[in-house]
Amino acid sequence: METNTLNKLSLFVEDLHEASLAPQPLIDAAKEYLLGQDLPTTKSERFKYTRLAKLANANFTDPSKTSNSVEKPLAPIEDAYLLIINHEEVILPQDLPKGVDICLIQDSPVAWHEAAFKDVFGALNTLHAQMGLSICIRRNTVLDKPLQIVHAHNGGKQFFRHHLQFEQNSEAQIYFVSQSMEGSVSFAHTHFQFDIAKDARIKIFKIQDTSSGHFHFTEDRAKQAEGSHFQINTLTLDGSFVRNDSQVQIQGEHAQTYLNGAYWLKDDQHLANYTTIDHQVPNCESFETYKGVAADKAVGVFNGKVFVRKDAQKTNAYQSNANVLLSEDASINSKPELEIYADDVKCSHGSTTGQLDENALFYLRARGLSESAAKNLLLQAFMEDVLTYIPNEDLLKFIHHRIGQRFNWVY
Amino acid sequence: MANYTENELAQDLQNQEYKFGFVTDIESETVPVGLNEEIIRLISSKKNEPDWLLNYRLKSFALWKEMTEPEWAHVHYEKPDFQGITYYSAPKQTKKYESWDDVDPELKETMKKLGISMEEQQRLTGVAVDFVMDSVSVATSFKAKLNELGIIFCSFSDAVQEHPELVQKYMGTVVPNTDNFYAALNSAVFTDGSFCYIPKGVRCPMELSTYFRINAGGTGQFERTLVVADEGSYVSYLEGCTAPQRDENQLHAAVVELIAMDDAEIKYSTVQNWYPGDKAGKGGVFNFVTKRGICHTNAKISWTQVETGSAVTWKYPSCILKGDHSIGEFYSVAVTNNYQQADTGTKMVHLGKNTKSTIISKGISAGKSQNSYRGLVQIHKGAKNARNFSQCDSLLMTDECGAHTFPYIECKNPTAKIEHEATTSKIGEDQLFYCMQRGISEEKAISLIVNGYCKEVLNQLPMEFAVEAQKLLAISLEGSVG
Repeated sequence: METNTLNKLSLFVEDLHEASLAPQPLIDAAKEYLLGQDLPTTKSERFKYTRLAKLANANFTDPSKTSNSVEKPLAPIEDAYLLIINHEEVILPQDLPKGVDICLIQDSPVAWHEAAFKDVFGALNTLHAQMGLSICIRRNTVLDKPLQIVHAHNGGKQFFRHHLQFEQNSEAQIYFVSQSMEGSVSFAHTHFQFDIAKDARIKIFKIQDTSSGHFHFTEDRAKQAEGSHFQINTLTLDGSFVRNDSQVQIQGEHAQTYLNGAYWLKDDQHLANYTTIDHQVPNCESFETYKGVAADKAVGVFNGKVFVRKDAQKTNAYQSNANVLLSEDASINSKPELEIYADDVKCSHGSTTGQLDENALFYLRARGLSESAAKNLLLQAFMEDVLTYIPNEDLLKFIHHRIGQRFNWVY
Repeated sequence: MANYTENELAQDLQNQEYKFGFVTDIESETVPVGLNEEIIRLISSKKNEPDWLLNYRLKSFALWKEMTEPEWAHVHYEKPDFQGITYYSAPKQTKKYESWDDVDPELKETMKKLGISMEEQQRLTGVAVDFVMDSVSVATSFKAKLNELGIIFCSFSDAVQEHPELVQKYMGTVVPNTDNFYAALNSAVFTDGSFCYIPKGVRCPMELSTYFRINAGGTGQFERTLVVADEGSYVSYLEGCTAPQRDENQLHAAVVELIAMDDAEIKYSTVQNWYPGDKAGKGGVFNFVTKRGICHTNAKISWTQVETGSAVTWKYPSCILKGDHSIGEFYSVAVTNNYQQADTGTKMVHLGKNTKSTIISKGISAGKSQNSYRGLVQIHKGAKNARNFSQCDSLLMTDECGAHTFPYIECKNPTAKIEHEATTSKIGEDQLFYCMQRGISEEKAISLIVNGYCKEVLNQLPMEFAVEAQKLLAISLEGSVG
């Protein structure tokens, strides 16, 4: 028993090779960290609701045996700079405007600044990240149309690492679309580093639409400077095992942070959203809205933490998590946390798990809607709260289409 | 007073010392310092316990040795030295008092200082007090009246002697000795406590009350309380604590078990004011308590607590809502000042259909203290139509304290409705302004607002206790609460 559990991590990394994109000291540190470590168990607070046995026992598809080319991935947004990436190649958009620099992470001198890891997967990423982008939006650049990055996963265990730098007063919308081949079993761990300079206005959208055999782990680490506006919207449309960990450090005054999430879970999907907003300076605001539905045997986990440091007076932090359970076997675990060390703050959180309002259902049924139609309508309305943050019509249509497909909802 | 500023208030809060600190000079009979099987056998034989209880203690001790101290709580403290504690201390006069006059005058004096003079209480309030002075009950009042109704209310050791079948049947069924580190320790070394049994269909005519008090230096207090409310009965139980001022940290690891059978109701109220340490954070009581109740069909358990004392508090009065239609409630005011740390909250485990739970938690942090709410609401698969409402508010009095909220919400049933909300803020400037504009001094205004803030919880306390609770709030936050 003992030896068996000890081996899980070594079994997991057995067939991984070191990519050594990271600087040597960091690699050494990661190796040292991993010595004697094992995959986290449910006894560890961060993995309390996540059993990794499924991951440890998964039989991953060999990527070399699947078609390797970046075959016409589905790009939901038509009018965007399209960048296509997989574990070996990157196709850059031809028409990139001035002020946007994109290169491979190994070619960027700043990408590994302040790189750190806190858990096993972070350390593994440091050691094994084989591909990554370094994107820089230069000072005062305002992207005229969104940047769309489509990532097609095709099997195996892969680690990616992206560094995104937004210089002063820049503005951009970036859409990360994750897909995976139907029928393949794959694992991908992606680390995002966001550096948001003064007055930058950045919206990040993560569209997670992978197939049912995909284990999707993401890690966001963001730093915000004065007056910046930063948004991460995580939209989980599909994927068997998804884990998102977003951490934002607010380091400049008058910054605004939005973390939003929407999830539609069914079958035996497992989704865990972890967020940490660290208010280090006064006069900042953060807003968190995570909403979702869980059907069949799906499990949803939300763990949000708002951390207000001693000096961060006049902080305004709001956090909410709302869930609707659609079946007997689905479950939701929610843990909204506040950790506050400053007194002149307004912080609140709310969490609800429950059912559609019976009065609303009755109202609709009285007007001739069938029970399922009425329910669908209400569920759609329930999710709209988060979808209003999506400014792009194409993406909204895409989401409606995908969810309509999966849940038989009529939009 | 009109110029009373917030800074002065903070200053006052820091300067204010523990008012109930004194040591009663009574000879105690103690066992040697340390913990091993011999000590446990010694405690057991001193208390003339049956074999099954000794075996239970020894088994718990074996379990405890395998366990490690929990570290997940949001508190930092120097670990107690479990071998440096005297595990048994009893006032030397072990004979039972026949009447109130027989009681040692010094003890009476102690009680007077605590404001619970027995005569007065007997006459005026109708509260039966089982007074625990360092582990052994010395006086029990109103026993005869309770006897008439078949209610058993006595010290735990008396219960072991007189009603062993009841104790054996129920002890450890809600908090097993495997539960956690401190529960196992308590199960091994508990010295005394209270036992209460309400027979079928009986409504206890008075509030039952026990005052705990740590006295002999270096004695950890390991209380064990067991309240059994049989079918259709009702009892309101009060527990209150004050402790003398002392320098070294004292460990208090109690276990409280409540059993509410079908249609029964238990109301358990606590006012906790152990010595919180001085304003530099030196000394103070460690309060690591396991409190849990189980509700059978249609039963109700209501926990109300006012926590103002202890250097470190680690306490989660919980309800297991096992029976259908059962109800669990938790009302709490936790005040921390100076260097106090509190990690407190509740667990509501919904197993039965149509179960309901309500959680109202009010935290007030002052000085350099840390105050955390940690709660679990767990809806199991079979808990159809379960309902929970939680509200956790925190009030910050200074810019050096902290207020934290760690709620766990786990739902496995689609028909359940769970709501949780929490807010953290300081006293609203507009509220203060409103009061002051109407001629109320700032100090009074703050007091008014804090009282209003805690009202939902204080209202749950029985009359006799509400007075004491107000007093304690006032002492804990002197200058701001009147």
